[in-house]
Amino acid sequence: MSVEEQMIENAKEGKVLTHKCTSCGHLHLSTVYYCQKCGSKGFEDAILEGTGSIATYTIITVPPAGFEKYTPYAFAVLQLDNAELRISGFMGGIATPDDLPVGTRAKITGFDQRGIIIEKQ
Amino acid sequence: MEKVCVLGAGSTKYGKLADSIADITTQSSVSAIESAGIDPKEIKASYISNVFGVADKQVHIGPVLMSRLGISDKPSLTIESACGSGSVSFREAYANVAAGFYDCLLVTGVEKVTHTGTEWTTTYFAYCSDFFYEGQAGASFPGLFASMARAYLTEFDATEEDFAAVAVKNHDNGVLNPKAHMQKKITVDDVMNSAVVASPLKLYDCCPFSDGASSVILCSEKFAKEHGGDYVEVIGSGRGGSPAALQGRDHMTTIPSTKLAAADAYKMAGVTAKDIDFAEVHDCFTIAEVVDTEDLGFFEKGQGIQAVREGRTKLNSDISINPSGGLKSKGHPIGATGVGQVVEVYDQLTGNAGERTVKDAKIGLTHNFGATGASCAVHVFQSV
Repeated sequence: MSVEEQMIENAKEGKVLTHKCTSCGHLHLSTVYYCQKCGSKGFEDAILEGTGSIATYTIITVPPAGFEKYTPYAFAVLQLDNAELRISGFMGGIATPDDLPVGTRAKITGFDQRGIIIEKQ
Repeated sequence: MEKVCVLGAGSTKYGKLADSIADITTQSSVSAIESAGIDPKEIKASYISNVFGVADKQVHIGPVLMSRLGISDKPSLTIESACGSGSVSFREAYANVAAGFYDCLLVTGVEKVTHTGTEWTTTYFAYCSDFFYEGQAGASFPGLFASMARAYLTEFDATEEDFAAVAVKNHDNGVLNPKAHMQKKITVDDVMNSAVVASPLKLYDCCPFSDGASSVILCSEKFAKEHGGDYVEVIGSGRGGSPAALQGRDHMTTIPSTKLAAADAYKMAGVTAKDIDFAEVHDCFTIAEVVDTEDLGFFEKGQGIQAVREGRTKLNSDISINPSGGLKSKGHPIGATGVGQVVEVYDQLTGNAGERTVKDAKIGLTHNFGATGASCAVHVFQSV
């Protein structure tokens, strides 16, 4: 399985596959091959819960092709719990900023043609 | 290293253009050649920046240009670095002249996309993001910058009206630029009442999709002096990178590559941000200009918005930001933009900027990035 396929399989389970550097402990999403901090290629897999809070987001009303039927929707960056890591994804059913204040609790719930799916907790 | 100079510069008008990508590439190149007062056969090679040549059925555009210039025997290279392509090709040409490989080069940036329509451009521009995490999840480019704007509104004392003031200022400048795409004054109300594209950004917070081409002749100081025309010196050149996706950045209200590129360019030039008289910065969206002016060191983090509010970035105020009208008003033909910024600096420093002249300007800066600033180049220029 490619690194992206592994990430997708974990997202479908509500999890985030990460790479923890065996030299310095720095944590990365699992699509990273070398440590950004120390350059090491030694990683161990660490599976995190895909829960956290919304770091920032936008509500898209002029979508790229394929997203017309979901509009309006949010693209959001999720700050994961208990890790200095963020991951972004698609959030359906968000129409106004009142629907999604920054800091809203949210979680990864799947992966499909809309990429990583995030929903409010 | 050789001293490197810009000896000539030219652009097509930016906007919706009828002529083909090959035509506008050539028109712009010819205008720079004539501005420099050189014979095309003195050009040793060309660096072409272009992202979506496929949209007008022409990739590998370099040899087409060289053939039309009657120098088909000369090499060319086409460079793609998303919206930062122009400054990257300028940088590669700069490095080659500085290293002494060539004494005279043509740098041309071009884009021709408006005929494809909003859905095509929105869709294909999103391919410049980290697609697995961003484009695939429905992020458009306005959406990614809107995410930065949301973070800025959350973190600092800023309002959507403040962002709108950036657009108003750049349109005021663009009205004075005959080659600008959007030559009309707008008000804060116009911005606030325009359609939401990606909350909190509205249509008038966004630069237009534009067609256009820009060119400069880059040469050694010796070559410039021998040819006797107006020239400006490139005194600093820097590049930097950022995590490709916003999620990889510790702060969503700063662009790391801008800071890295600026630090390198300032160091090489022996200047600081305080020495810059005017700057052409990458204002693809209003939020971007605010972030840029902070990352370039003109204002403290979080203070860029206050500077806008106080009018300190207007033409001939504390520091003239985007006297050309910027991407917002001049337009954003993405492959051309970085080169077009150099054209503006050349015009300003050689006394050819007309009504939008920055008074007594000696040092100008260009700042151009790709995508959400995943790649960036900054250059510093000095009049001679």
